[in-house]
Amino acid sequence: MAPEARSLTALATAYLAGQAWYRTATANTADAPVRLVAADVLLEGHPGLARLVLERGERRFQLLVGWRRAQDSARVLHGRESAILGSVEDAGEHLLAYDALADDELTLQVLTIATGGAEHAERVRRVSTLVSHASLVFDERLFMKCYRVLEPGERPEIEVLFRLDEIGFNALLAPIARWRAHGHDLALVREFLPSALEGRLLALTSLRDLLARASSEDSSGRGPAFMPGAPTGQELAADIDLATAQAGGDLASEMHRLGATTARLHLALAEGFGDRPAQPDLMAAVVAGSRARANAPAAAATRQLAERIAALARGEAGRSIRVHGDFHLRRVMRAETGWLVAGFSDDPLYATDLPHASLPARTGSPVEDLADMCFSLGVVAREALAQRPPSESELASDLAAAWCRRNRLAFLEGYATVPEVQRLLPSEPATTELLLEGFERVRERRYEATFSGA
Amino acid sequence: MDDPSAGSLLVPPSPGGQPLWAPGGPPNAQRLFLPHEAGQAGWRQLANDQRWYERAVFYELVPRGFFDSNGDGIGDLSGIVEKLDYLAWLGIDCLWVLPFYPSPLRDGGYDVSDFYSVAPECGDVSDVVRLVDEAHRRGIRVISDLVINHTSDAHPWFAESRSSRDNPKADWYVWGDDDQRWSDIRVIFCDTEPSNWTWDPARQQFYWHRFFHHQPDLNYENPEVREAVLSVVRFWLDVGLDGFRLDAAAYLFQRDGTTGENLPETHAFLRQMRKEIDRDYPNRVLLAEVNQWPSDVVDYFGDSDECHMCFHFPLMPRMFMAVRREQRFPITEILTQTPSPPDGCQWGIFLRNHDELTLEMVTDEERDYMYAEYASDPRMRRNLGIRRRLAPLVDNDRRVAELLHALLLSLPGSPVLYYGDELLMGDNIYLGDRDGVRTPMQWTPDRNAGFSGADFAQLFLPPLMDPVYGFQAVNVEAGFRDPSSFLHWLQRMLAIRRHYPLFADGELEVLPADNPSVLAYVRTGPGADEDGARRAVLCVNNLSRFAQAAELSLDRWEGVSPVELIGRASFPVVGAGGYPVTLGPHSFYWLELEAR
Repeated sequence: MAPEARSLTALATAYLAGQAWYRTATANTADAPVRLVAADVLLEGHPGLARLVLERGERRFQLLVGWRRAQDSARVLHGRESAILGSVEDAGEHLLAYDALADDELTLQVLTIATGGAEHAERVRRVSTLVSHASLVFDERLFMKCYRVLEPGERPEIEVLFRLDEIGFNALLAPIARWRAHGHDLALVREFLPSALEGRLLALTSLRDLLARASSEDSSGRGPAFMPGAPTGQELAADIDLATAQAGGDLASEMHRLGATTARLHLALAEGFGDRPAQPDLMAAVVAGSRARANAPAAAATRQLAERIAALARGEAGRSIRVHGDFHLRRVMRAETGWLVAGFSDDPLYATDLPHASLPARTGSPVEDLADMCFSLGVVAREALAQRPPSESELASDLAAAWCRRNRLAFLEGYATVPEVQRLLPSEPATTELLLEGFERVRERRYEATFSGA
Repeated sequence: MDDPSAGSLLVPPSPGGQPLWAPGGPPNAQRLFLPHEAGQAGWRQLANDQRWYERAVFYELVPRGFFDSNGDGIGDLSGIVEKLDYLAWLGIDCLWVLPFYPSPLRDGGYDVSDFYSVAPECGDVSDVVRLVDEAHRRGIRVISDLVINHTSDAHPWFAESRSSRDNPKADWYVWGDDDQRWSDIRVIFCDTEPSNWTWDPARQQFYWHRFFHHQPDLNYENPEVREAVLSVVRFWLDVGLDGFRLDAAAYLFQRDGTTGENLPETHAFLRQMRKEIDRDYPNRVLLAEVNQWPSDVVDYFGDSDECHMCFHFPLMPRMFMAVRREQRFPITEILTQTPSPPDGCQWGIFLRNHDELTLEMVTDEERDYMYAEYASDPRMRRNLGIRRRLAPLVDNDRRVAELLHALLLSLPGSPVLYYGDELLMGDNIYLGDRDGVRTPMQWTPDRNAGFSGADFAQLFLPPLMDPVYGFQAVNVEAGFRDPSSFLHWLQRMLAIRRHYPLFADGELEVLPADNPSVLAYVRTGPGADEDGARRAVLCVNNLSRFAQAAELSLDRWEGVSPVELIGRASFPVVGAGGYPVTLGPHSFYWLELEAR
């Protein structure tokens, strides 16, 4: 027994109109009507559960709707009244319909349904993340992304995750199940490692340790760290690279390991999706295109880089593979077993044309991912610098720049320790450097475009 | 608390009869001497417990460096007897005495020239008997090193063996006509020894040695050798020792095409030794020195039929690196890869020991990249080749020393303390690598640090006299009189640990924390208490020199109010969602929870 689809749809439409993410996602289709594509009853009875797939203009959305008898709802939805869609009737009973993911009991059922009965859990908690999907953690061991904004065909993230897992690449948060219907990926269930931490947090810890030394009177900065007498500001300035290398919180060895993991990732992507010769003219065009937002000197330098890249012969520029596409310190996690790659192309950090959409699968040079990660070091360094008092700024900036240099080098060296990865790169290290520089500039422009004014 | 296995926790009077606390001393003093009162005279009982070592705190000391009873300038076994009251007060359960056998001392006493007696400067066998008896009276056990892989070349066995090719002991060592066999087997002391084979002009053959050339390996293929070693074992167990640290236990046998380590034959011999000991000598312990990755070391536990304890080597550098890096992964990584020992077995964990240089040389660097980083870390590298004590290694930072000890006492395993570290004693790097950490124990500010009545010039090693670690200020007497001393702190912590057996044999679960500098784990007791709940202690540690905040997932204990163990203060009730904690620099909390 279930409420009528039409009444649910009407309530859902009104409910969605009140959700900020929905308004953003439908900003350019504001006049289009909402159409019900599918209504699947997943659980009958009370509480009950249905899945609505709604369409507005070109975009489709998933809403899981639950319902209970009105008198039961208060207990379950206490504090989550914003999830209520409204009242419905079913066979003479007065029911309250609501966003099912606000109901723990129903959410646990969704896990079981989404995994085809394979997984059961006892506890669930919601994680607040970006909004194109709901993020749920079950029993601190499973993570579900329940997509709100649907995409046609296979979501790139899911495709990549399952393919990599299939071929045995294990530096991943392992995929457990995918939930598909009506030609869309509706949810992804993967393992959850509660103790894994974002690379960005490790980087900030390292920077905090290093930048504390910029403070001339920082008694806590002298710390034990097994050093007899902290280097003074003068000593630091004299050889800033050495001082950076000697800092207790040095991240270089971790970045080295991350580099090796990245190399294995690229080899796995090549194995899973193939590789072909990289095309210098295409790469040059991407680099050249990033001049648009640069200032004059930067634009000139970028144009020169693009010209040099375009001048490469085919075959000199390495291979083209399916790249990660959004590779930065928030996309890698440190777990007890080492570094893991988490998150492929979903909820990209940088602005895209279509809000709340995945980055489409893209092929390119593996150097693009390397450039992303190198650039990411600078982003995190800026974040750490922003937290320091202004009086330290000069020495702190120098330290931060030295930190970026050191970790960039460690990352690239770690990457190169996996011998097989050489076949994906240009044969000449100088060419790799050229591509790296070009793509780092592209990232820089893209970062400014996304966060200018931030 | 009437746990018979913990023995009666009465405290003997302090040396000299001084009150242990200044008048009006620390407010928690009474509370912390649970369940008895400070100053009450009495003796601890030796627990009749087959598994005593699983809960014991070990104390490693060098007999020549502890206390000199006869005024010859060298510490001796009788000297240890005189200081047993101090050790009983401190709260240690087992002494580990470094080798006291006769030896030419070319390898710190690990080159033994007579297994059945005692080096004269240390005393004689009757002193060992007396040491064991007096220690037992105070509830303290005694183990010593048993060097079974090799002997000194000054040992009469070797003298005989090398004298010809057909004497009765000709086959007691490993002889070869050339030095090509087992060429794959690595040289451990590769800096000083070019090969595992050395030519002996007397016998005109090569002999095999995994260590220094003056330490020929015994030939375990020979049943006479195996029997001779077991006789040595029986002798000292008859004297009363409570067990042995088996030095170089991994190297006993050699086989073509192997690494010469961890061979099945080696395990078989150790199991045979264990069987004999179990049959005739109850309540003894075999502690294996096997420097391998933990998942390989567990082989030495057998099916609870081999060694009772093994050292956990990779943990130590990782604890230091975690503090250096201010992030927890060096530690949590190794914890997740450390198997639980089988029933009746236990890890031995430590912060420092006498022998770190050997660790550097034998650790498989590829497997333990963290050790490679420790050795190449710029600050550690200054110390490479020079063994440092704990205090100088942490630049005498009291907070870091406390944090490291808190980890040592709360992580799974039996802690092994090194003598003098309870005073945050320093070292003397100018004495050369081994001796630097074996300077005399600093007892008082008096002559020779109260270690010996001899003339200063006679002392086997000079005590420390620098401004920071000099014996004038750093000594046991000062530690007693200063209620805020590290000595008192450690003694209290050992008492607390003793009160909670879950630190010794409980389960370990690392808890996630959103801050990389915070290391949190829960130790859960094996059995339920009278309420049916399982005792649990949450240990939260700040690895950073800056104050930190973190959120812990304590959902299982929702509704519980944690109680901090040292001060017994209640902490905020655990609610739904993350439990926020804030920690000062390098500080830690031990919070009692009920397990669910």
